[in-house]
Amino acid sequence: MIHLAAPTVMRVPAGELSARSRDRFASDLRRAGGFAQLCLLGAQACLDAARPGGSLGVLWSSSRGPVNAVRAVLAEAASGEPVMPFSFVAIQPHLAATILAQRGVDVTRAAFVRIEDEAWPWLLAQAASWLETCERVLLGRVEEGEVHQSDWCLLQRESPGILCEPLAKPDHAVPATAADWLARIAAAPGRLALRGGGEAWRFTPT
Amino acid sequence: MPVFVRAAAVASGGAAEVVPDVALPAVGGDWMERAESIARAVAAKLRAKADFDSNIPCFVGSSSHFIGALEMQKDPALDPPAGFARRLAGCFGAGGPVVSVDTACTSGITALGLAADMIAAGRCDHALVLGVELSNRLSREGFAALGLLSAGAARPCDRQRDGLVLGEAFAALLVSRSGPWRIAANASAIDPAGLAAPAPNEQVMAKAMRTALADARWRAGDVDLVKLQAGGSPTGDLAEARALRAVLGHLPRHVSLKGAIGHTLGASGPAELALLIAALARGRVPPTEGFAQSDPELGLAPSGGDVGGVRRVLFNLAGFGGSVASVALERA
Repeated sequence: MIHLAAPTVMRVPAGELSARSRDRFASDLRRAGGFAQLCLLGAQACLDAARPGGSLGVLWSSSRGPVNAVRAVLAEAASGEPVMPFSFVAIQPHLAATILAQRGVDVTRAAFVRIEDEAWPWLLAQAASWLETCERVLLGRVEEGEVHQSDWCLLQRESPGILCEPLAKPDHAVPATAADWLARIAAAPGRLALRGGGEAWRFTPT
Repeated sequence: MPVFVRAAAVASGGAAEVVPDVALPAVGGDWMERAESIARAVAAKLRAKADFDSNIPCFVGSSSHFIGALEMQKDPALDPPAGFARRLAGCFGAGGPVVSVDTACTSGITALGLAADMIAAGRCDHALVLGVELSNRLSREGFAALGLLSAGAARPCDRQRDGLVLGEAFAALLVSRSGPWRIAANASAIDPAGLAAPAPNEQVMAKAMRTALADARWRAGDVDLVKLQAGGSPTGDLAEARALRAVLGHLPRHVSLKGAIGHTLGASGPAELALLIAALARGRVPPTEGFAQSDPELGLAPSGGDVGGVRRVLFNLAGFGGSVASVALERA
């Protein structure tokens, strides 16, 4: 059995990202790139809302990843300029886990993944596997756009939290996508069943 | 539930006894067509060794995905990399779920861990793991900008080593509930200082190795062979040597494959695993290309030769950004 705690839904207008990051983390994320800043803003807000705990797995997904940094570095390369070190750093999405570890979080496993829209139940099943060796798993969805998304939650074996159970029959579950399943849970007043890709999970507040 | 590597196939460079299943075609032409052509060739070699169902899940590890294709476009459409992973999976006839994994140089081994978790949890019987790293300018210039590349050749563990040489690879592992090599452990760690450091520190590497040994229930003396991360980085090779000595004390035979195929970044885990398994099936550890003079500070002397008795392999990887992995492989 796994419990979902501190569901955190964050929307950041693109033009406000740097200022929000600077306000929260001072200047220490300046060179990590926008995608890492966005990841850290949501992840840290989730950790702040949760109870302190031990070893942490970090599993986060995106459809397109650090698309703004990739676009910038491609333009840099197309102009004939050599690729600059921090332009290269900014296109490495996994660095968000390293920065979390720098901030004193005991990160023992980490994976940044791109999944198809309906495949979000895989994240929960994977997090459940990691809970065999990690005390907690920080699960995120980060997407850049005109308004950036950085949604996170913390999964753990013990309550408190929202009880998460896989359903054998997904018939009565509501369709959800990788982009909105966590926001739906955060907004739900009570029990909720969601499905994606032929799998379904039930979420019950405890 | 135990998880095994059932079959493997790889396209990469090679030298001496490091023999890929597929020779890489020359770089050039349409990037995506070349990638899919390589994928189909590797798929054919893999299927010749072991068959698998069409609903098999596929985990694709890469640090650059299809950025090489984007570099060729005037106004690149930044399609989701999951779409690229789906195309590659399609070349293997894999129609199950597709997950694209990016943890830099450990991407392929992270993908292997996710696949193994899925099998161990009983969520599937087999999984396909691809490690993909094909020629692109951004990786070359990015690593050059960080000052990590050699001016000449890759010289793992050698006194004259001066940096990495990048290589290309496309590797496929079929992971299953049975096979010739059991994945006894797949441990990882993150170096908090890894964002700025040229190599993970020795304590973090040692932590991953100790976790792998503990998870596999091995003692230090049980390891018959160490597949080194060593790619010729002055600080990286040194950190690994110190970590190995701290964990294992007396070192068993050790080997690096990066002198033969280059550092294939996100593909390096599956690619080096495939090449090593093939070499061990032939009964020989390949020599470490580029190693000539030992460095007293390292105290490493990688060597090849007959190894019929190798049963347990410690397989090290480390990556840009502080990601470290240590896999324990046991002959079934």
